[in-house]
Amino acid sequence: MNCNDIAELAPLYIAGELEPRRAAEFDAHLKTCPACVRELEEQARLDARLREVLLADAADVSGVDRRMREAFAARPETGASASARGPLARRWTIAAMGIAAAFVLLGVGYYFMLGTRVARVYADAAADHRMEVVEQQPRPAWLDDPAQIVALAAEHGISRTEVPSFDSEGYHLARGRMCGLDNRAFLHLVYSNGTQEFSLYLRPRGTERLSGAVRETVNGKRLRACDLGGEQVASFETPGVTALVVAEGSGDAALRFARLAAAAL
Amino acid sequence: MPHARSLLRVARRLSSDGAAEDLVQETLLRAWRSFDQFQTGTNARAWLFRIMFNAFYARGRQARSAPVLVSFDAPGRAAEPERPSVLSPIDAAEVNQAFEALSEEHRTVLLLGVVEGLTCQEMANVLSLPIGTVMSRLSRGRQALRDRLAGGSGKVYRAHAVAGGAQKEAR
Repeated sequence: MNCNDIAELAPLYIAGELEPRRAAEFDAHLKTCPACVRELEEQARLDARLREVLLADAADVSGVDRRMREAFAARPETGASASARGPLARRWTIAAMGIAAAFVLLGVGYYFMLGTRVARVYADAAADHRMEVVEQQPRPAWLDDPAQIVALAAEHGISRTEVPSFDSEGYHLARGRMCGLDNRAFLHLVYSNGTQEFSLYLRPRGTERLSGAVRETVNGKRLRACDLGGEQVASFETPGVTALVVAEGSGDAALRFARLAAAAL
Repeated sequence: MPHARSLLRVARRLSSDGAAEDLVQETLLRAWRSFDQFQTGTNARAWLFRIMFNAFYARGRQARSAPVLVSFDAPGRAAEPERPSVLSPIDAAEVNQAFEALSEEHRTVLLLGVVEGLTCQEMANVLSLPIGTVMSRLSRGRQALRDRLAGGSGKVYRAHAVAGGAQKEAR
């Protein structure tokens, strides 16, 4: 590959769509071409800047929701009586909830369909975060003593320096446990800033390659992120570990926490 | 309602405020009626965007003349994002202005690809375009935005890439 190929294929590379062989050739070129690396980093910065500005548009959907209720209430087959309107407006609420649930499941299914182990690990991480952190299903295996968590990490090949502390940034290490994502062992750390909890999943770096759109670069680490139904998953690799960050909700909460983690690890 | 916010965010960049809500409402009603046609295992958000762009193009783009300009310093602006912004208000206004000055086709792929996170293949399906066209629009859209923001700094890379191509041809 030469620099023109890189320029042409950059949209696929950034979106994580390049097939593995071509992605390896792409990476090989980057190792020898600082100009292309600078260009991609500049693109990633520009993308992040654009995303941040445009996502600041809160896009209040209450008007759309009201219109949908009115549209359902006004359907001719519903009858004109006032008594019929209430249940039909509620029907939209129920329909919206049904569609929401279906989309969450289908969204997770979509990432399963990508067919790579690494893509499945995102779906597993999102599901684990939802069950263990958001819904807090009772599990006995959580440790809340940082010293015990570090010892647990060491047993699984993750050094003390790879269990980051973000106390100075306002994130407290709340608890940790081992879990399985895509049939692989991950250390699951939960950090809290007092209002929201963030999952950081770590495992010693293997041969797998993370997929997904590169959103930005922090200290030479490429941060990727995707939304999976109700959760955002961000990921990056260091020479020592593969790291996934999950936070509830759309927006860039997971990506912001991943920035801190990528800078610390 | 999942994805409604994404749909509205994109619609507002293509249409005036009221028209954007109309477009999203039409999209959701069409999706509601044709939910049985949704193909399991594909991206639901991309499917909704496809419905929305079909509706948008079917309207003959009548209502798109005045895309909303989001003010970053208007008093009482609701729902400021909870994260601390790394951009100053001036930076944000500049980015907004540069984005709004782009062509509709560049704004569309940047919105779908960069902001909403669709892949090139998904965008190709949403917009009924060949994937090569999407890639090219995305590259040119990024370049145009960069040129507007940085006074043409991207030209350095274009020269660099062309030189690389010339080397390949020489070999």
